[in-house]
Amino acid sequence: MTDLVEVARHDRDPTAGPDRAGRPPSSCRVTGRQVALRRGAGALIVLLPLTWALQRALPQGGDIVNRGGVPLIGDLLGKAWSPRLDGEFLEVVVDAAVTTLAFAALGTAGALVIGLLGGLVLSDVAWARRPPWPVRTVRTGLRGALVAIRSIHELVWALLLVSVLGLDPLVAVLAIALPFGAQTAQVFGDTFDALPTRALRALRDAGAPAAPAVAFALLPPAGPLMLSYAFYRFECAVRSTVLLGAVGVGGLGQELVVSLSSRNWDEVWTLVAAVIVLSAVVDAWSGRLRTDMAVASCSEWSAGDAGGAAGTGGRRPGSRWARWSAIAAAPGLVVAWFASGVSLSGLTSERTRMLAGRLLDDLVPPALPRGGAGEVTAAVLDTLAMAVLAMAIAVLITLVVSPWAVAVRRGTGPPGGLAMRSLRWISWLVARIVLLVLRSVPPTVWAVIALLALFPGVLPGALALGVYTGGVLGRLVAESWESVSPAPREALVRTGVPGAVATVAAVVPASAQQLVTFTLYRFEICVRETAVVGIVGAAGLGRLLAENLNFFRFPVVMTLLIASFAVSVASEVASRRLRRAIRA
Amino acid sequence: MNEHVVRLEGAGRSFGASTALTGVDLTIRAGERVAVLGASGAGKSTLLALLNGSLQPSEGSVELFGAATAGLPARTRRGLQRRVGTVSQGLDLIEQVRVLHNVNAGRLAEWGTPRALASLVWPHPDERALGALEAVGLGWAVHERTERLSGGERQRVAIARLLIQRPDLVLADEPVASLDPTRAAEVLGLLGRATDSRGTLVVTLHQPQLARDHCTRAIGLREGRLVFDTPIADLASHLLDELYARA
Repeated sequence: MTDLVEVARHDRDPTAGPDRAGRPPSSCRVTGRQVALRRGAGALIVLLPLTWALQRALPQGGDIVNRGGVPLIGDLLGKAWSPRLDGEFLEVVVDAAVTTLAFAALGTAGALVIGLLGGLVLSDVAWARRPPWPVRTVRTGLRGALVAIRSIHELVWALLLVSVLGLDPLVAVLAIALPFGAQTAQVFGDTFDALPTRALRALRDAGAPAAPAVAFALLPPAGPLMLSYAFYRFECAVRSTVLLGAVGVGGLGQELVVSLSSRNWDEVWTLVAAVIVLSAVVDAWSGRLRTDMAVASCSEWSAGDAGGAAGTGGRRPGSRWARWSAIAAAPGLVVAWFASGVSLSGLTSERTRMLAGRLLDDLVPPALPRGGAGEVTAAVLDTLAMAVLAMAIAVLITLVVSPWAVAVRRGTGPPGGLAMRSLRWISWLVARIVLLVLRSVPPTVWAVIALLALFPGVLPGALALGVYTGGVLGRLVAESWESVSPAPREALVRTGVPGAVATVAAVVPASAQQLVTFTLYRFEICVRETAVVGIVGAAGLGRLLAENLNFFRFPVVMTLLIASFAVSVASEVASRRLRRAIRA
Repeated sequence: MNEHVVRLEGAGRSFGASTALTGVDLTIRAGERVAVLGASGAGKSTLLALLNGSLQPSEGSVELFGAATAGLPARTRRGLQRRVGTVSQGLDLIEQVRVLHNVNAGRLAEWGTPRALASLVWPHPDERALGALEAVGLGWAVHERTERLSGGERQRVAIARLLIQRPDLVLADEPVASLDPTRAAEVLGLLGRATDSRGTLVVTLHQPQLARDHCTRAIGLREGRLVFDTPIADLASHLLDELYARA
C-alpha cells in the first residue's frame, strides 16, 4: 500500500535535463510574460480541480454529519486511556502481530523473486546484445503485464484471490507478492541498466556463459541497493498486510476490523498501539539499514534518485547492521513460513482449479453494472474527487507538521539557550510521532472512523485517505527538506538580511519545489488507494468493486478493473506531464 | 582621506584544537585591491569569513569600517554586513528561482522586510537589476531558471547580485579557480567594476600573474600566519616559493 517508489524511476528522460554546454543563449530565452502565464496556469491547475472536487464532495443542502454517529466517536475517544490490556487479549494481539510480520516477510520474499527475474528480463544490460525477436516480444508483453499488475491495488488483489482461494493465508502472501513484485521488477531493471557495463562485457568477451557472467558482474554492484530496497519493501509490506485485514486474511488488520465492527473500542486502542509500535520498529530497522549503507533515503526512493547511487554501489556495503539483517533473512523466512501456516496445496487443489476457471470464464466479456455507464462514470469522478481532496488535506497536514519534523542541524539554528534548544527538540519529536501515527493507522481504520460521523460519500473517503497520506507525505517532505542546502540562506544573512526574510527568500523556493514534486508523485498513488477507502464503504470505484464482488458479478468487476486501470494510467500520465512542465 | 575599511590586530581563529589563523595584523584602506595568496588550507577562507563578520575572532580583534565586529548588537552588525559583498566558492545561489530573484537577493537587506517579501511573489525587473545583468552579459537570462544556467553563467549571476548590492568591500573566495585564463581575467575585471573607484576588493587567488594584473597589493598566508604583505610591484618570486614550499 505504501508504494512510495512507483513510477518515478523510469520517467527520467535523459534528454530532459538542461544542456549545459554549447547551448546558444537565444534558444532558452524566457520572457516575463511567459513566467506570468505559467504562474497563472499553475494556479488554475490547483484551484479548478479543488473547487470541482469540493463541490462534488459537499452535497447540496443535504446533511454531511451523521448526528447518530457522533456519540460513537465520543465513546471511541473516551476509551483512549483505558485500552484492553488483559493477558488473554494481549496473547491475541501478539499472535496477530506475528502473523502480520510473517505474511509481510513471505510476501516481500515472493516480490523479490518476481522482481529479480523480471528485472533481469526487462533490463537491457543482462542481454549481451540486442535480444532475439521472441525475447523482445515477450519483454514487451511482460512490461505491459507488470504495469497492469501493479496498477491493481493489493487490497483488490486480495479480494479477487479470496474468491478463488477462499480465506487461505496464501491470499495475503500473493496479494503482496504480485503488485510489489511487479514494482520491484521495474526498479531492479532500472538499477541494472544504471550500472556500468564494462565488467559484464569483459566477462562475456572472455567466453563466460550468460548466467554466471550476470551473477558475477551485475549482482555484486547492485547488491547494496537491492538489499536496501528489499527492506524498504518489507516496511511497505507490513503496512499493506495490516490493510489486507479488511478482507479477513488474518493478522493485526483483521483483529482491528473485527474490533471496530463490534465497537469494542478498548480493543481498538490496544490494536492501534500495536500497529504503531510494529511499524515504528520496522521503520527504524529499515531506516538504520539504509543510512548504514548510505544508499538511499525513503524520499530518494520515491523521487527516483536512488539510481544515482547504483553506479557507485553502497559506500559501506559491509556494515554490520546490514550484514546481520541479510543473514537473518533466510531463517526468518523459514520461521515465517511455519508461523503463518501457509501452504502451496491450496494452489493446486481441485476446488481452486475449478473456481479459477470459472472466474476467468466469467471475467470476459466485461459487462456494465445495473446503473449502466452512468454509474461507472460517477464512480470514476468520485474517485478523482476523493484523490484531489485527499491530496489537499495531506498537503495541509504537511505544511503544518513537516517544518517541525525536520531534524535540527548540528551547529546551526537559533543561538538561543538550552530552553530554546530543548523546545525545538521536543517539537521535532512530537511532529515525528504525529506523522508516524497518521501513516501507521491504516486508511481503512481512518475511513471506518470517518464513516461513524459522516454519511458515506466522497468526503469521509477523502478525509481518511488525506489523513493517512498526510502522514506519508509529511515524512517524505520533511526528509527531503533536511537535504536543502543552508548555504544560500547563510549568504543572505551575511549581507545583512534579517533571518526570517532570508529563510523565505532562500529556503522556501527549494522546499516548495520538493513539496510539489512529492505531492504529484503521491497523487498518482492516492488515485489507486481510493480503492481502499471505497472497499470499506466510502465512495468511488472501490466501493462499486466491493459491492459487485460480494454478489459475484464478475463481468461487472472486469469493467471496473479496466476503468480503474484507465484512471490510474491517466493520472500517471497527467502527473508526469506536470512534473516535466515544472522542470522547464 | 584614507579611511580604514578593515583593521585586524593580532586576529586569529581556532576551531576546537586546530588553529586556522593566528596573530594576523592587517589594515586595508579604501580603494585597495588585495590578493590573498597561499596554499590550500593556509587560512584564506577563514580570513574572508572574519572580514565579512560571519566568523568572530577567537583571539585579537577585527574592525570593519571602524567598528569591532565582536559583541555588536544584531541590528548594527547587519548594517555593517550590508556594506560587505561576498562571492563564495559555492556561489550560494538559490537554484530553484528565476535569475532575477537571485540578483534582487543582493538588495533584500536594503529593501526591508515588506518590500523584500513582496518582491519574492512579484519581482519587477527595474533598471538597476537589468543593468547589473547587462553588465555581466546576462541581459537575456532575466527570467531564466537559475539551475538551468551553465557554471560560468551562474558565476556571473553571483557577480550581478554583488553589483546590485553596491558594497564598499568585496570579498571573493577563489572566484576563478575553475575558469580558463580568458574567463578568469574577465571575471576579475567584473569584480573590479563591482567595486567602483572608492570600493575595496579582497580576493583569494592561486595564480600570481592574475594578482599582478588585477590587484594593487598582495598578502601571503602560510599555515595560518601572515608571511608577507607587499605592494604588488614588489611581489617577488622568492616570496612565492616560500609560500608554496612544503613544510
